[in-house]
Amino acid sequence: MNPTTSRSNGSRFDFTANLATQLVSLLLICLLALPTFAQPASRVYAIQGGKVFTLAGPPIENATVIIRDGKISAVGTHIEIPADAHVIDAKGLEIYPGLFDPVTQVGLTEVGQVVATVDVSELGDFNPELVAATAVNPASAHIAVTRASGITHVVAAPGAPGFELNGGGIVSGQASAFNLAGWTMEEMQIQPSVAMVINWPSIQTRTFDFASFSYKEKPYAEAKKEYDKSVNELSDWLARVRHYAQARQKGSPALYERDLKLEAMIPVVEGKLPVLVIAAEARDIRNSVEFCSKQNLKMILGDGSEAWKVKDLLKEKKIPVILGPSEQLPSQEDDPYDKPMSQPAELHAAGIPIAFSSFGTSFSRRLSQYAGTAVAYGLPHEEALKAVTVNAAQMLGLADRLGTIEPGKMANLIVTTGDPLEIRTQLRYLFVNGQLTSTSNRHRDLYEQYRKRPEPAR
Amino acid sequence: MSRALLIASFAFALVAPASVPAQTPNAVLIQNATILTVTQGTIEHGSILIRDGKVAAVGADVQVPAGITVIDATGQFIIPGIIDCHSHIAVDGSVNEGAPAVSSMANIADVLNPADVNIYRDLAGGVTTANILHGSANPIGGQTVVIKLRWGKQANQLPFEGALPGIKFALGENPKHSNFGPPAGTPARYPATRMGVEEVIRQAFTEAREYKKHWDDYNQRKAAGEHNQIPPRRDLRLEPLVEVLEGKRYVHAHCYRADEILMLLRVAKEFGFKVRTFQHVLEGYKVADEISTAGVGGSTFSDWWAYKMEAYDAIPYNAALMRERGVLVSINSDSAEEARHLNQEAAKTIKYGDLSPSDALKLVTINPAIQLGIDNRVGSIEVGKDADLAIYNHDPLSVYAVVQKTLIDGQVYFDRDRDLAARPGLEKEKQALLEKEKKAAEEEKKQEKSEKKQEKKKTSKPGNASNLASGAAR
Amino acid sequence: MKLHPGHKRESLILVAVCIIAIFVWAHAARGEGGEPRYFAITNARIIPVSGPPINNGTLVISKGLIQAVGPSAPIPPEAWVIDGTGLTIYPGLIDAGTDLGLPKPEEPAGATHGRKPTVPSEIAAGPEDRPATTPWRVAADELKIDDKRIASWRNAGFTSALTLPEGGIFPGQGTLINLAGERSGDFVVKPTTALPVSLKPIGGFFSFPGSLMGTIAYVRQVFIDASWFAQAQPVYDANFTKFDRLPYDRAERLINNSLRANEVVLLPGNSSVQILRALKLADEWKISPILQGGYEGYSVAEILAAKKALVLVSLKWPERSKDADPEAEQTLHDLRVRDLAPSTPAALAKAGVKFAFYSDGLATPKDIFKRLRKALDAGLTPDAALRAFTLDAADILGVSDRMGSLEPGKIANIIVADGEIFNEKTKLKDVFIDGRWFEVHEEPPPDKPEEKKPERQSDFPEAVGAATR
Repeated sequence: MNPTTSRSNGSRFDFTANLATQLVSLLLICLLALPTFAQPASRVYAIQGGKVFTLAGPPIENATVIIRDGKISAVGTHIEIPADAHVIDAKGLEIYPGLFDPVTQVGLTEVGQVVATVDVSELGDFNPELVAATAVNPASAHIAVTRASGITHVVAAPGAPGFELNGGGIVSGQASAFNLAGWTMEEMQIQPSVAMVINWPSIQTRTFDFASFSYKEKPYAEAKKEYDKSVNELSDWLARVRHYAQARQKGSPALYERDLKLEAMIPVVEGKLPVLVIAAEARDIRNSVEFCSKQNLKMILGDGSEAWKVKDLLKEKKIPVILGPSEQLPSQEDDPYDKPMSQPAELHAAGIPIAFSSFGTSFSRRLSQYAGTAVAYGLPHEEALKAVTVNAAQMLGLADRLGTIEPGKMANLIVTTGDPLEIRTQLRYLFVNGQLTSTSNRHRDLYEQYRKRPEPAR
Repeated sequence: MSRALLIASFAFALVAPASVPAQTPNAVLIQNATILTVTQGTIEHGSILIRDGKVAAVGADVQVPAGITVIDATGQFIIPGIIDCHSHIAVDGSVNEGAPAVSSMANIADVLNPADVNIYRDLAGGVTTANILHGSANPIGGQTVVIKLRWGKQANQLPFEGALPGIKFALGENPKHSNFGPPAGTPARYPATRMGVEEVIRQAFTEAREYKKHWDDYNQRKAAGEHNQIPPRRDLRLEPLVEVLEGKRYVHAHCYRADEILMLLRVAKEFGFKVRTFQHVLEGYKVADEISTAGVGGSTFSDWWAYKMEAYDAIPYNAALMRERGVLVSINSDSAEEARHLNQEAAKTIKYGDLSPSDALKLVTINPAIQLGIDNRVGSIEVGKDADLAIYNHDPLSVYAVVQKTLIDGQVYFDRDRDLAARPGLEKEKQALLEKEKKAAEEEKKQEKSEKKQEKKKTSKPGNASNLASGAAR
Repeated sequence: MKLHPGHKRESLILVAVCIIAIFVWAHAARGEGGEPRYFAITNARIIPVSGPPINNGTLVISKGLIQAVGPSAPIPPEAWVIDGTGLTIYPGLIDAGTDLGLPKPEEPAGATHGRKPTVPSEIAAGPEDRPATTPWRVAADELKIDDKRIASWRNAGFTSALTLPEGGIFPGQGTLINLAGERSGDFVVKPTTALPVSLKPIGGFFSFPGSLMGTIAYVRQVFIDASWFAQAQPVYDANFTKFDRLPYDRAERLINNSLRANEVVLLPGNSSVQILRALKLADEWKISPILQGGYEGYSVAEILAAKKALVLVSLKWPERSKDADPEAEQTLHDLRVRDLAPSTPAALAKAGVKFAFYSDGLATPKDIFKRLRKALDAGLTPDAALRAFTLDAADILGVSDRMGSLEPGKIANIIVADGEIFNEKTKLKDVFIDGRWFEVHEEPPPDKPEEKKPERQSDFPEAVGAATR
């Protein structure tokens, strides 16, 4: 554009202004060319021509989604494309809300066996004041790898067990929800505290002793005593928290000392922050549900491998379940071989809200595979989709912002070649926090690099 | 003896917890399915005639012999039974003899456990043959064996007849015990570096060569009529290595990093033996040309990574890239759980690497068969091959596919319908036995109480002769 | 007191009397004095086991042996005659696997609740270190006859037992003992009766062998080494100027001796998988298949018969552990096995498999017969049970030429009861061991039977599997 043509009235100021405009445009163009992580959301996108699965109603064929300032601003057919929109042609493609992995260690661990890279479990049993977001490494290779599978946001849960690691502690800290794109945690953060993680103590008659590298057994009576002690400690803690909360609310801070741990638990006893109780065995689930009910805590069950055995109790107490991988071995030798795969369908049929999660880092990208397998064994497809998008958002109080494609919600979206639960489906475009985000990652980079390796001399 | 076997199998079936299917007739026709033969294309609305455990005919127009048992597979998909090239199921006790650096005297074939429920679980995932390996705690580990997952049979009926025996090598972090250590007071075991790992292998093969020399020498002199010789000692550790040198035993080498892959190729060349497969070989894509030139197979994961330092450069494109450069690639499980969905893992190469579905399927069928030297019998659906089949309700490379039946040697070893139907009965039996035990325990408690009372009465009287079976009065 | 010459003769007599007294006393201390070793039991029902029962007969014991058995027999005048009207005479029972008379092995530091010690004090790097191999330990050399259980067993009708050393892969050699004597040597009938082999991997992850396959490979190597020794030593001895000196390996020598002496080699085998594995190994190692344990024998009885295997059946039927988590899963497999295990003896008897019973660490004879009762209820005939406790046990242990039945010339190990032997109401009247009479006393109630915890097959950390992927 010729700076002297438009709006020129010969004034020197106008000339400078036009140059400035051009420089700004140039800058914007340069910014566009860079792979965007997340930037001050000022972009407008229009995704056009694809089939949109809003998960808030029936799918819409040949629809348009408008993204503006990080949010979904319009969805539907016959929507006007803004002039400044970056248009994405999604003909033949499908659009879904970005997948959500609600229990992971993404960002908290890089290489499982290398202790220096692991920040999952702190020492000690009671660490409610710890917040996962503090330790998430935005430069972790896992972030780009995971989002390349269509997962746009995750929760990192401190102390939760995973493939590479055992869990740690009883009250392990606060789980944090964040987007898988951003330069810093400040940019990525969705909510630093979405749940308090509690690893429900188990009655351990058999533990692996690393010192002697073998199993050690102890009689049930002894193990039960230790368990009772842990549970009593937990209940004592909660009593102290309530006392502290009362003093804080009604009393004068000058008269008592501030306690960070007790303070961190206040939202829990007030029912404002849910507790994510991680329990796999039926007895542990039963005990923890009864405990939380007595203590008036808002409980979400995490893992729930044997949830099917205590279905009625979960239904009665309205406990939602964030399931671990549906592809695991049955917990007992005599369990039906397909129990972990068919359990999601069973729980759903019983009216229990479910969500899928990976409980991992390097296997987070299998989230859709876990959901797809559950469909193979009886879970309705639509429910499975919800269980990797909106259900967990609802459980964690994020449903006003995430989980469906509706105007006003955060623009976390995926554009795919088809059913996101099917293995061979490819991800074409990825939107995180309203930004078109690159899907390149460590793995693709290594692939391209070594693909180019010339044949070695023989 | 066969009667004894039959009775024993039946008796064993009584104690095998999961449902053991009834005997399948010797001749069976599976009808009207989509048959993915792997080597000879896909047949729509095809049938397979099975006789004597083998595929007798396969095609769209197979003649239906009169009176034959028909399995209707309309709408279903049949593939060759999946072959898992890296498995640790069916082993009694530890899969590792981890204390010595070289544990080649240990043999997995000695400790096969046919009652491992994971055999059944993997059958239910379509696996019919598995390469059961020693663990990776040693640079040279124990001997390995290929088995068919013949659930309900005895241990000596599991090994794949005619399959060459193997031996497990391991390179990298595990054999140098780098991610765990001995308890306080116990010395660490050599090797602690990758240099030491190589040295252990070279040293062992050097000794094996000398061992072979001594024996050849002895045998020669004996044949020449020399008496009064003391034979060399037989060393069970070195004998499998001699077999490797003679090409009679396959080497399956667990490895991760590109440099250690090349190291083993060098050592193998130096001593004149061939590595049959690299296992895991997660950095195989970096040295795929070298692997393919050496003619070694690669058996890898679909998408595992970052659990160890040496797995940090692992990529899900590994299989595709190695294959591109001419390596014969298979995808394995190394896990009783992963083995249940190797069809899904194979499908991932369609996404990561753009393999065609038929090439993806090869990664868990004919390719591992060739790697294990058993492709004359399994790995594809062809006339004359074993009737080892997996029948699915959907395209096997779809996440929605569920195995309906698994056959080995023409026998149905897994039947989903029958499994579902058997569950209430098994649960009932379990409850009945629990009740019985509970009652017996209560009876015993009652008796003990009454005995204690009797004893108290007795001690006041002078000594009588004791009851032979005192206390067991009922 | 000054010795007068006149008192000299008296002194001599005094000395002579003292000497004789000492002699007699010394003899009495050796048991040579006391009751004459001649007994006869008349008008009794006699169950010889080796032949049909004799309804009304006489049994004569003379100097430790059975002199005569029959409807009538000449009774030596020295014999103490016991009127056996209403009584039944049986051969004494044999417990084919105990640790009677052997002190308990020390539990090494670090052991937990009876399970195997976690890290052995000496790390073995391979078979050449001969881990846990002490075949030179002979139970006969270590007998402590003040073991109170010996009298307890005797009072219950046991006259002999195979006592086995414990600890390790080749713990030593078991001795067949009679359950009476003044000194430990008196007890011993056959010092090296059995060579038990244990396949428990005693090493753990860091010491060899740490796995079942490693243990099997080790035992295999030991047998190979023993046979090499048998070949090599004579050649060396005849031509030692031609060969490098042979090193000394005690284990090799002893195992070789045992095999040559056709000593009974005991292989463990409880579950059907273990039993079949033991049969396969016995074939390979060219030893007679003699199994110890056998509780799942009912499922493989035909195979055992076909292989002519012999079984020492443990009476400690598998039970739910009392320490266990009450909510822990009981697998259907375990439930079935626990239900059917007591039917093993009946199944073996039906299939024609020769077997004996052993107490396997049960604390009291009362426990033994309680467990036997389960086998009888499950279909074992009392005759077959008696045979297993007597002649078949003796046969398996290689002493049926000397004991196990009531025949002239056999050792007089005899029990006299007032009824059918395994009937609960039957009381034992007399026990003879080596032809010596023992009165049977009422058993005081046991204070606290300390049962050995059932040894489970070595489990292995799955965590190791994950660490060694």
